[in-house]
Amino acid sequence: MLQDFRSPFDATVVKLLKKAGAQISGKTNCDEFGMGSLNIHSLHGPVINPFRVDSRRAAGGSSGGSSAAVAAGLCDAALGTDTGGSIRLPASYCGVVGLKPSYGLVSRYGVVSYADSLDTVGVLAQDVERVEKVFECINKRDCNDPTSVDERLREKAHLLATKSIQRWSGESLKGLRIGIPQEYFPSELTSSSYHILASIRHLLSQLHSLGASIVPVSLPSTAYALSAYYVIASAEGSSCLSRYDGIQYGLRVPPSPESNFTSTSRTYSPSRSQGFGREVRKRILLGTYALSADAFDNYFLQAQRVRKMVRDDFDHVFSIPNVLYSKLSFEEKDANDHGEDGVDILIHPSAIRTAPRLDDVLDVSCDRDTLQDYVQDVLTVPASLSGLPAMSVPMRPDAGLNQPRDNQQSDENWPIGVSIVGQWGTDELVLKVGRVIERLSRR
Amino acid sequence: MSRWLVDGWQVVIGIETHVQIKSSQKLFSRALTSALNHPPNTRYNAFDAAFPGTLPRLNRKCLDLALRAALALDCSVNQRSSFDRKHYFYSDQPAGYQITQHYSPFAVNGRFTSANIGFPIRIKQIQLEQDTAKSITDTRTRTALIDLNRAGTGLLEIVTEPDFRTSEQAAEYVRSLQELLRALGVSDGNMEAGSLRCDVNVSINRPGEPPGTRCEVKNINSVKFMVAAIEYEIRRQQSILETPGPTQRVSQETRRFDPDSWRTIKMRSKEDAPDYRYMPDPNLGVLVFSEKHIEAVRRTMPPLPASTRLRLLRTYSSSGVTENNIDVLMNLDAVRDITYDGATDSAIGAVAYFELCAEGRDPKSVMNWIIHNFLGQLSALGKPFSSEYITVAQMGQLLDLIITKQMTRPSAKLLLKQMLVSPSDLAVKQLAENMDLLSLADEHSTRSSGDDDSLRDVCKRSIEALPAEIAAIRAGKEKAINKVIGWIMRQTKGKADVDRAKDILKELLHQ
Repeated sequence: MLQDFRSPFDATVVKLLKKAGAQISGKTNCDEFGMGSLNIHSLHGPVINPFRVDSRRAAGGSSGGSSAAVAAGLCDAALGTDTGGSIRLPASYCGVVGLKPSYGLVSRYGVVSYADSLDTVGVLAQDVERVEKVFECINKRDCNDPTSVDERLREKAHLLATKSIQRWSGESLKGLRIGIPQEYFPSELTSSSYHILASIRHLLSQLHSLGASIVPVSLPSTAYALSAYYVIASAEGSSCLSRYDGIQYGLRVPPSPESNFTSTSRTYSPSRSQGFGREVRKRILLGTYALSADAFDNYFLQAQRVRKMVRDDFDHVFSIPNVLYSKLSFEEKDANDHGEDGVDILIHPSAIRTAPRLDDVLDVSCDRDTLQDYVQDVLTVPASLSGLPAMSVPMRPDAGLNQPRDNQQSDENWPIGVSIVGQWGTDELVLKVGRVIERLSRR
Repeated sequence: MSRWLVDGWQVVIGIETHVQIKSSQKLFSRALTSALNHPPNTRYNAFDAAFPGTLPRLNRKCLDLALRAALALDCSVNQRSSFDRKHYFYSDQPAGYQITQHYSPFAVNGRFTSANIGFPIRIKQIQLEQDTAKSITDTRTRTALIDLNRAGTGLLEIVTEPDFRTSEQAAEYVRSLQELLRALGVSDGNMEAGSLRCDVNVSINRPGEPPGTRCEVKNINSVKFMVAAIEYEIRRQQSILETPGPTQRVSQETRRFDPDSWRTIKMRSKEDAPDYRYMPDPNLGVLVFSEKHIEAVRRTMPPLPASTRLRLLRTYSSSGVTENNIDVLMNLDAVRDITYDGATDSAIGAVAYFELCAEGRDPKSVMNWIIHNFLGQLSALGKPFSSEYITVAQMGQLLDLIITKQMTRPSAKLLLKQMLVSPSDLAVKQLAENMDLLSLADEHSTRSSGDDDSLRDVCKRSIEALPAEIAAIRAGKEKAINKVIGWIMRQTKGKADVDRAKDILKELLHQ
């Protein structure tokens, strides 16, 4: 649809980077309109994971191109958009750092909208330091983005994050409370990807030995999050993509001469049918249905209720309050009842598996269970629904395993990531813990 | 209300008005709003054209004007309201959806009272929404031309309850609403220019029975057409329901008014009505109106026409100013172009002009002068009312010259015409002197006695010039003096003081 389209204006984040002296070296491949978890739904072909090119495995998506570019050393850092895990999943598959900031911190002005309430601009790089540097440059309020959070709230969250960091800075992590959400270790993980479990166990014991408290927590609504996410994302996606009709810009396929010119749908549908890929068409149809009068209450509204439940789950386990919703003042929150029991951040595996083989996922025959593609997002969507900062940092794949790293075809050698999730606005806390984990993973 | 029945049918009418907000920028984009004379596709930006990556940016000035309308219509303002997307594909909707307030409009439960309707009209709700682009179809070439100038302009949709019972009431409502909106600075409310558009819902029922099926007539752009559309609908529905045989039903339809055939034509039926898939707009969140904000707007609102009318009557009717006089001035103000964003106008209106001129003078004379002479001259010159041609100060000087009899009325009229045709900064008295329009003074003024002499001279000459008339006067025919006075006035080019001339004549004739 936008193959030959050149935007007349720069996105705010691009302007900020250019102003700070960054060199924009190119644009990367992605799943069309951000719809996909494997970067296989693209006019330019699938992205091949650079970890071992011959293996022909997926890079993850939708920001697979950015993740691969960074992993292959083609650039220092790359921007991506994360709607349901589109930065964190490819970061995990390619073995790089991928940050999805808190929703509302980085301007979305200039970002081609997929789902306005979920889209978040984020950063990929080979280490946390570089991610942090780029993030600092683009983490600015923008009046052109109505969802850009004001200075007052950013400052409030910043103070809370600082308070938490001050409790444990230095070599020792004493005072840092790390929550392990039990719902993020689904059966798929423990059976087929036990090495991921082993790695994360190893990491947690390292953190524990440095003085951090490892606290099991529960986020009961997690099971419903994936469905709610896809209803909301598809619904908003169908809305945001209504503008692509080929009239003001974009692909225009004229209707056949015999067709009824007075019907708008006859005029628009050739452009839209041809201009959108299969995955995009699928999501638009599903999203349109979810918003239809018949389905609205049962699907869209219900999904919004689940979304609120997911957000509440997080607010219950964090010791830091959510400044966007909390009515309590800063001082009152100190005496909060679960301040003692709450955790500062959460840690969980970024994905339930390593990068899949492209041959397996590109099979378009009816035999393939495409539902599995969507299940990959199960660990990443809750943070998206709640707008929380989340970063995937690579773990050592063989950490905790007793076997040597000799079988190149084995899934066990492929990159895996661990996700760090913080309360809204505490991105610096997430980044700081990320640095610690990065250091530990390199030992 | 049996007096409003049409052939035994009760008519039920509801009106939805779309009013363009007179803001300099659009509702969610910073592009400038447009007027009819702007060339197509010159007043829009990337957001209005729905380019990828653009986001809405709420224009706060539209909110203030929206609040003025809500308060003037006696509505409850919802402190929290929200925006929704109304999805449909059409060439005048670049984004494929309109941002409107479906689930939660910002103002509800108002009331509009107009003396000419006689009972209050309930306002169901007022909502903020975007206007569409303009689509012009050329059936010959089978192409549609799109003009984005209008796309995204702020609209107020004002929805009434179906309280109207006659087309006259509906027409009166629209006219009064136009006057109100202009007085508030909210909108030009000009139907021909498209800044005010109406949809009417009409149904008929037998008195005592529940309301009938309503049909909607969309996009009516003149009061005349609205009345015609309502009348046509009444007859059309009547003929369906009065068809002999098994009971026919009026089907629920959306229709449009065709000015060429003077009737309504079906656009679509209820079954074809689209599902708009309303979805809360995730970019815009909750619209909050604080008590403070509402009070601030209430305090700084311009006065409503009804209260202005009352105040003028109370202040000036004792001096003889009539309701008619007041209406003339208020009607002038009602058609004035208003400023953008509710800013105070640097030019003043007819009512303000009158009031300033009337300060320290007899209001009735000032009113008469303004209406009969000033407005009359403007109309002869083809100029609309404006306070900028002759300032209040200048007009005041002119009025004072008349009051102190330094100038006769006929002279003043000439001077007024001159001032309009070639405006000048000179003091009015100086101007009058230059044009030799000042009166021939009488012996009581401080002017040189030479002037009185000249008047005397003219009177003496008149006696010689008109022997027949003089003889008639001497014979007792009092009226004949008017002919002589007329001759004197012509001689003096209207500068003679009539009363003084009469006195001098009588004096001369009795010598």
